[in-house]
Amino acid sequence: MSALRYAALLGGLLGLAGCTGLQQDKDQALRAAQADFLAIRDDTYVLRSAPREVQRAAETLVHAQRFSGYWGGAEDAIHYAYLSRRYSEIALLQSRVERNQEQIARLERTIDHLQFALRESAPAFDEQRIDLAAEESNRGLLVTLDDVLFADGSFRLNRSANRILLRLARFLQFNPLRRVRVEGYADNRGDADDNLTLSRKRAQAVADMLIDLGVDPEQVERVGYGERFRVADNASGRGRARNRRVEIIFSDEQGAFSIPR
Amino acid sequence: MKAYVFPVCMAGLLVLAGCASDPAPAEQLRLSEQVIAQARAVGAVGEVGELAMAESKLAQARSALADGENRQARLLAEQAELDARVAEAKLLDIKSQEQLDSLNQHIRRLRSQAGGAR
Repeated sequence: MSALRYAALLGGLLGLAGCTGLQQDKDQALRAAQADFLAIRDDTYVLRSAPREVQRAAETLVHAQRFSGYWGGAEDAIHYAYLSRRYSEIALLQSRVERNQEQIARLERTIDHLQFALRESAPAFDEQRIDLAAEESNRGLLVTLDDVLFADGSFRLNRSANRILLRLARFLQFNPLRRVRVEGYADNRGDADDNLTLSRKRAQAVADMLIDLGVDPEQVERVGYGERFRVADNASGRGRARNRRVEIIFSDEQGAFSIPR
Repeated sequence: MKAYVFPVCMAGLLVLAGCASDPAPAEQLRLSEQVIAQARAVGAVGEVGELAMAESKLAQARSALADGENRQARLLAEQAELDARVAEAKLLDIKSQEQLDSLNQHIRRLRSQAGGAR
């Protein structure tokens, strides 16, 4: 209901507007309530998910019609017509929410299946160990994903990262106290601010994938460093490709990290 | 004479009673307050106008009650209750839609990732 109609209705309820004006408002309110009710009355979804609201919409509409026939009943008729429209609206919304929830349950099952299929496709490995090409660095245990992981200027994750991300996800699921810090980096082509954003999106893409694979979001931190901390010379294409990378730092067993760089 | 005075007085009293007979809608006001609080607990309030509408009507209902206009207070409080219920339903609708969108995105990412894993 628009603010104008609302004001008109309140005006009708509070003041005693001119009799013909009130009569017109009443007829209009009744027509609107009737139309709203007709729209939901035969909708099986609505009837199924909000039977009580449909019933109330019908009852209040009958009240409105009854008052409309009484002398001096216009105010009440408008009031009950208003309530009826509200009930119709609630019924419609509730049925939509319920349908969405059914859809949500279906999608969650699909996700379970997809996660299962992805895990099955990964080669077997020792689940208790970090069976990753991890190296000890002064920032803790570190895995670098730089195997042509991102195209120039892109944060779309290359599929070559699958194997290692699946292992990482599995490891984190078996070690719920461990956490990882996902650090995104960029080469130095283009604007430094854009590169900072890009590096954040790269870290985000990797973190999202881990979470999609079933890792608790609490276990994943992300940060972007832009074009800083290069690992190769930006002068060559090969060097830039190596700099477009994501580094993953592991926490200790209690979930504590080294100080961020 | 007295026999006439009595019914006339009674009639007068009944008319007065007719005006004043609307009980104070204390229960309805409490209910409306509760429904508004419930809607507010669902989430981001700024997104739906119906909640502000409900709050404004509740405030008007309270002042009508304070002025002894019980009927007016009841009508306003009833409308406030349903405005708040609409607000709540809208918020839940928005939330479920957002959840759907994020799940669909999740599935798209998993599918594209699975395509390469095979």
